[in-house]
Amino acid sequence: MSDDNEIKVEPTILTREYDAPRLLVYEAWTQVEHLKNWQFPFKGFTCEFVTTDISPGGSTLHKMITPDGHEMWLLTKYEELNPPESLVFRQYMSNEAGDILPNPQMPNWPKELRTTIVLDEEDGKTQLQLIWQPVNPTKEEAEAFEATRADHDKGWGGGLEQLHGYLGTL
Amino acid sequence: MARALTTFDSFNAIAEPKRRALIEALAGKELTVNETVELMGWNQPMVSKHLGVLKQVGLVSERKEGRCRVYKLNAAQLKPVQEWVVQFEKYWGSSLDQLGDYLNEIQSRGVKDE
Repeated sequence: MSDDNEIKVEPTILTREYDAPRLLVYEAWTQVEHLKNWQFPFKGFTCEFVTTDISPGGSTLHKMITPDGHEMWLLTKYEELNPPESLVFRQYMSNEAGDILPNPQMPNWPKELRTTIVLDEEDGKTQLQLIWQPVNPTKEEAEAFEATRADHDKGWGGGLEQLHGYLGTL
Repeated sequence: MARALTTFDSFNAIAEPKRRALIEALAGKELTVNETVELMGWNQPMVSKHLGVLKQVGLVSERKEGRCRVYKLNAAQLKPVQEWVVQFEKYWGSSLDQLGDYLNEIQSRGVKDE
């Protein structure tokens, strides 16, 4: 409602260990030829980039296509790139022109979320930290983020893959 | 893209994380209230409340079977709002798992740089 800048929200920190060298993991985050193969939440999705400027101050626009043909556009604005250690970006739902759209499904979801990726290499494996934090959230946005915190690290169950399959048959 | 604000429509119904979890549970199978209580680990009034909201907007339908009420997902009703399944709270947790699978895949077939 007011005093938006006063509200502090603890970031969500997700960690993963990948059996891959750090440089490869960094490239997977910063090269479109890699990103299009994995940056979606389910197998069966595809990804197409229409603009690809992965540089500080640059942005990409891509669409995710669900197995049933539904398209979603995402705009990603890059803030920092520190190869091969870290990158910082913000990602938004958008339309195909790259105009940022509100989320009608969840009106209080934070409009600005900063994502920081930090990579460390140990014994040939890469430790990844994904730090996800609302930027200047309103009170309602901070609460919406907090209310879902327990789910931030959960993958989808098999149920939603079935649902996508079913939606595709309608 | 604008839509009229109504008290209960599909958009509002899925704005609640618990109801999204419930839809996920109901995808592909029918459940009674008791089965849902057991599966979700919520109490019965909470399950009934959320099922009631989903029923009110047509996202689930209910039928009687003996003394039980059985709930079923009307997935067609989800079509207009299906963006929700890839947004929000689980997006990165799920995508990081895709990254793990992808890294394994490209390394096992040998990384080819162009």
